Amino acid sequence: MANLRRISQVVFILIFFFLLVQTQYQGRDEIGYPVRLFLDLDPLFAGLLLLSTFSLKPILLLSLITVGLSLFLGRFFCGWGCPFGTLHNTARELARRPRKLEHGLYGKAQAWKYAVLVAVVLSALFSMSLLGVMDPLSLTVRSLSLGIGPSLELVVRSFFDGLYAYAPGWVSAVSEPVYRFLRDYVLAFSQPHFLQGAFLGVIFIGLLALNVAKSRFWCRYVCPLGALLAVLSKPALLRLEMIGQCDRCGKCARSCPTGASPALGDGWRKAECIYCWNCVEVCPTRALSFVFARPQKKDGRVDLSRRNFVWSLGAGLVAVPLMRISPSLARPHPKLIRPPGARPEKEFLERCVKCSECMRVCLTNGLQPTLMEAGLEGMWSPQLVPRIGYCEYSCTLCGQVCPTGAIEKLDLETKRKTVIGLAFVDRNRCLPHAMNINCAVCEEQCPTPKKAIVFKDTEAVDGNGKKFTLKLPYVVTELCIGCGICENKCPVVDEPAIYVTNINESRAPARSLLLAPKSMS
Amino acid sequence: MDRREFLKVTGAGAASLAIAGLDPLAALSAEKQAVARQAVGKQAPLLFVVTRGGSPDKNYAAALKALGGMSKFVSRGDVVVVKPNIGWDRLPEQAANTDPTLVRAVVKSCYDAGAKKVKVFDYPCNDPRRTYVRSGIAEAAKSAGAEVSFVDERKFKQVDMKGTVLKTWPVYSEALDCDRLINVPVAKHHGSSRLTMALKNWMGVIGDPRGRLHQDFDHSLADLGRFFRPSLTVLDATRILTAYGPQGGDTKDVRTLNTLVVGTDQVAIDSYGTSFFGMKGTQMGYLVEATRLGVGQVDLSKVRHSVIEVS
Repeated sequence: MANLRRISQVVFILIFFFLLVQTQYQGRDEIGYPVRLFLDLDPLFAGLLLLSTFSLKPILLLSLITVGLSLFLGRFFCGWGCPFGTLHNTARELARRPRKLEHGLYGKAQAWKYAVLVAVVLSALFSMSLLGVMDPLSLTVRSLSLGIGPSLELVVRSFFDGLYAYAPGWVSAVSEPVYRFLRDYVLAFSQPHFLQGAFLGVIFIGLLALNVAKSRFWCRYVCPLGALLAVLSKPALLRLEMIGQCDRCGKCARSCPTGASPALGDGWRKAECIYCWNCVEVCPTRALSFVFARPQKKDGRVDLSRRNFVWSLGAGLVAVPLMRISPSLARPHPKLIRPPGARPEKEFLERCVKCSECMRVCLTNGLQPTLMEAGLEGMWSPQLVPRIGYCEYSCTLCGQVCPTGAIEKLDLETKRKTVIGLAFVDRNRCLPHAMNINCAVCEEQCPTPKKAIVFKDTEAVDGNGKKFTLKLPYVVTELCIGCGICENKCPVVDEPAIYVTNINESRAPARSLLLAPKSMS
Repeated sequence: MDRREFLKVTGAGAASLAIAGLDPLAALSAEKQAVARQAVGKQAPLLFVVTRGGSPDKNYAAALKALGGMSKFVSRGDVVVVKPNIGWDRLPEQAANTDPTLVRAVVKSCYDAGAKKVKVFDYPCNDPRRTYVRSGIAEAAKSAGAEVSFVDERKFKQVDMKGTVLKTWPVYSEALDCDRLINVPVAKHHGSSRLTMALKNWMGVIGDPRGRLHQDFDHSLADLGRFFRPSLTVLDATRILTAYGPQGGDTKDVRTLNTLVVGTDQVAIDSYGTSFFGMKGTQMGYLVEATRLGVGQVDLSKVRHSVIEVS
């Protein structure tokens, strides 16, 4: 059975990687299989979305599969399916040996994860922010998409580019087709770059490295999803039983990754067990077996003391108001340009789980994780950074992959009319305005059918005293949608001479610039 | 057959253009203009033909026939680069890119003339994945057997273009390492150069910072025309975008002309193209400058050409 479990883990993580790779433009306006499918299995998302917004996307009902599985069989998801869990298994294999017997026995600190769950659930009444940071699936997608993935990609690209540039011809004759295949089917279209990518990558590796201290450290002590499934597993029917003679060798405990005390200690704990079957396989006397039986009360112990429960309740309650002390809701950072389809900021934060799928799928790499632009609450949520990439006029991918509807799926016509900001010409830096030199790149690139950047033709005299027509660009406020292509392509490459800020965005009518904005039709 | 042999075989008029192609540095301006002036006589070579009224492939076939067949421009075994405009994430009917059926016809004609390989690419302004798909060009070119690829940043080479304003600039090596270049631009409005046609289309085979060319289009585009010497230019005026170019977006700004201008003098072809917009070639600073550099002839009274109605 342990081998079957390993196969299941490999299959699930391959599906996960496949979906992650697929979460990019595939040559069609509609995306095929986004990695969102995995997030849809997460009951924390579905449940908390229900709590925080009183709405449910039908697709999130997939999470009922996970719920059902846990109710009847226990935490199978953690042991057999969770991609973060599988990566933990791998890290555990690489970590220290021999394993200590006491690491397989339950420790009181393992109840911390319930405290995390309580805090997350409570805060989710008001904001999905904390959940997004702590949820294992969101965390994995985010870390892989923004940190680990791009860095691996850089290694692969540097390797093949190196061969292409320096190796003899016959080498690149072999390597180039391989590279082409990778680029067509595995790698992103061009090397992704993400703000904070290194930071997120280091956190992720750090979490995996905790396996050195104790195996499945995250799953044992922290994981709110694991905690939820542990609570759900109370009525589960599959339990570990002693069916033979135990000689107390302790091998089962040494093999247990989550401290579920198989056979030894104060007895097996269903809430900790992830059904990995290690103990059953390793037992020299074949004394252990999983059998279907009525759940027993002592199996399902969840050791969250009342005191700790109250503490975590308090933490969850305080977390959201503490984060909301920030003035960012009332006075958003001018550069906080949200993707088109993003709900009004408050609602947006109630939904965004910082999974970063929108950033991964963004054609131009322009969607980047925030740091403090949206306050602590909005950390790692998406913002458009036009200097890095603009919003492609006819693309609606970010709304298609969002698992919680924080970014709504827009039809193309609506998307093209959705204003996410407004362009401003910096006349001190603009070539025609400041330097008497024609330029016009911003006007050329402007994608709206009636251009939102137009010229004022003026008579000018160049350095040699020759008359010429100087075309001065200015922005038509009623037409600009804030896509940022002007800022992106502006030839003043350091501090752009035209830039976008989020004023005028259609999701916040109160922050409109004009007295009477033209109707969008 | 290499380029030199090819020149011997083809007519003197075409050769005079191609000689400049062999040595773009030669300051041929005075001499060439003289050639062009003589050229208006009946024996002078036909530098371009205008075909109109038919579908893009019919118009193209008629033009080729009038020019003496594709074998005059592509030889057996040639590696040919066909350079359409795939710059924008727009549909064919929005007229921001070259018509896909025309691209297919051009690719096919190259293979019919015995080309070994035909490559189609552009260095677009919008996301290349989207422009290749939505323009319809990737699929159309592939269906005719072309090798369609995205621009690979590693394949830009720093080249001394020896222009008036364009000095050392990154140029896409596939546009340099080919036997024939065929330019297939679309005629459309442009905010700063007023119209964009054949000369402007070369911006798609040079690397960044391309945006700087806008500072002096007249000299930049003339420099591009002097550097890139196509064996054939096919100006697509099947549909033209008359306002809010080069992207457009509103089909109200598109006019259907069902016209092609096909030939060897890229300046003369652009000059003719201005008439679609009610302008004159001499109004375009870059065409005047290109003529001064000897790239071609803006003054159509000095260029033998013909107009063919295709039904």
